[in-house]
Amino acid sequence: MRVSDLCLRYRRNDPWVLAEVALDLPPGSVTEVVGPNGSGKSTLLRVLAGLLPPTRGTVTGRPAVVGYAPERFPAAQPFTVAGYLRHLAAIRRADPEAVEEWTSRLGMEHLLGQRLSDLSKGSAHKVGLAQALLCRPGLLILDEPFAGLDSAARAEVALTVDAIAAQGGIVVASDHQGDLRALPNVTRYEVKDARVRPIATETAEPLLNLSVRLPLSRAGLLAAQLRAEGHEPLLSQDDQVGADTRTPEAAE
Amino acid sequence: MTALTRFRLAGYARSHRAFQPLLLLFVVISLLYATGVPLGNELTSYADSAAILIPVFAWAARGLLDTEPDEQRMIARTAVGPAELVSGLVAALVCNAVLAGIAVVWPLVAGFQAVPGVATLVTGIGLHGLAVLAGTVLGALTSRTILPSPAISIVVLIGGYVAMLMVGSSSVWAAFPAMSWMHAANHGELAARLPVILVSAGIWVGAGLLGYAGLRRTRP
Repeated sequence: MRVSDLCLRYRRNDPWVLAEVALDLPPGSVTEVVGPNGSGKSTLLRVLAGLLPPTRGTVTGRPAVVGYAPERFPAAQPFTVAGYLRHLAAIRRADPEAVEEWTSRLGMEHLLGQRLSDLSKGSAHKVGLAQALLCRPGLLILDEPFAGLDSAARAEVALTVDAIAAQGGIVVASDHQGDLRALPNVTRYEVKDARVRPIATETAEPLLNLSVRLPLSRAGLLAAQLRAEGHEPLLSQDDQVGADTRTPEAAE
Repeated sequence: MTALTRFRLAGYARSHRAFQPLLLLFVVISLLYATGVPLGNELTSYADSAAILIPVFAWAARGLLDTEPDEQRMIARTAVGPAELVSGLVAALVCNAVLAGIAVVWPLVAGFQAVPGVATLVTGIGLHGLAVLAGTVLGALTSRTILPSPAISIVVLIGGYVAMLMVGSSSVWAAFPAMSWMHAANHGELAARLPVILVSAGIWVGAGLLGYAGLRRTRP
């Protein structure tokens, strides 16, 4: 997907919101967009999602299936969480089982019977993320995806972003929290004064292996958190565990 | 697109906004048929009913399109592309078809002294169909996506309807021909003038739809 010489303003004679934007978003890329409030990040994301036509310039090679999670999920709708997600799955022609999959992965099974208007900000945000992920998007646009999420959901979203990119999808997200920064190979851009400029990545440091021994029941969560932070955990189990009757804590 | 249309109709029905134009429809047709319709005047009544109900249909279409939050409309657009716009119009047409059905059936139960002939019924249904199209387009053009201010929106909706009647009284081509079909029905000329009225209505509805699609291009 390529953005060439993109300029955008909402009305003639208005100042440019975006000017001379050029981006290359290859398959498998994760792009983080940062910038001050009101700098045009959400506008850029909407242009990339195909919601706003550029005043000048072109966006080419946009994947056919686009998932879009807005910054504020519109919770003022007369549906339950389950009813809403079932409708969205039908609209997106997604497998109905995807609703169960994503509600489970985002830890929101207990919310399924609740009305959207009764949800907390964080819970509503999860519904917004779930609807964007139902369709296995080729282009995933996330506007502040980590705002208001608990740590487990943050880790799951980061893992999902990584997985979509690994499958050849394109992910573009604005992220004030910086949760995406820990992922490997994230390209960062700053939107400021209507321009979109790449941010230089930090220089590579020497790598170190760090071993951690912990109970098996806690290994999955820690591995997920480490992956979300961009590390590569290598899991191995002690050979003597099967024969040893001591508890893991005692073994430590 | 069918699933999105169903979703929007469900949201509109559950929001209870649908009751507002429905109640207004009952008020209008109750007044219209309160004193009964003499034998032979059924077509005139249908013509008047169809023209008078255009703002009710416009209000219903506007209400349906405005029920969906802006962010949800954007989500729908990323899901189905430009068909999102068509889906909204189809949902409004379905809703207005129900209202028009009530308006056509009501006088058969309480209003007409006898059930009119098939030709009158078909013409009455056709005129209400044209009114549904006009109302839906007027409602879409005054929906929040196009006119964000509720005050300006309702003024344009009512003002647009009044202007349509006033300008339309001079010529069948000058505006959507609601005034022309009322005039023709009251003078017994509707059958003869119907082709011209249909062409004019088609042109004005088409122009309105093109305008709505053009404005929506930069208003997701």
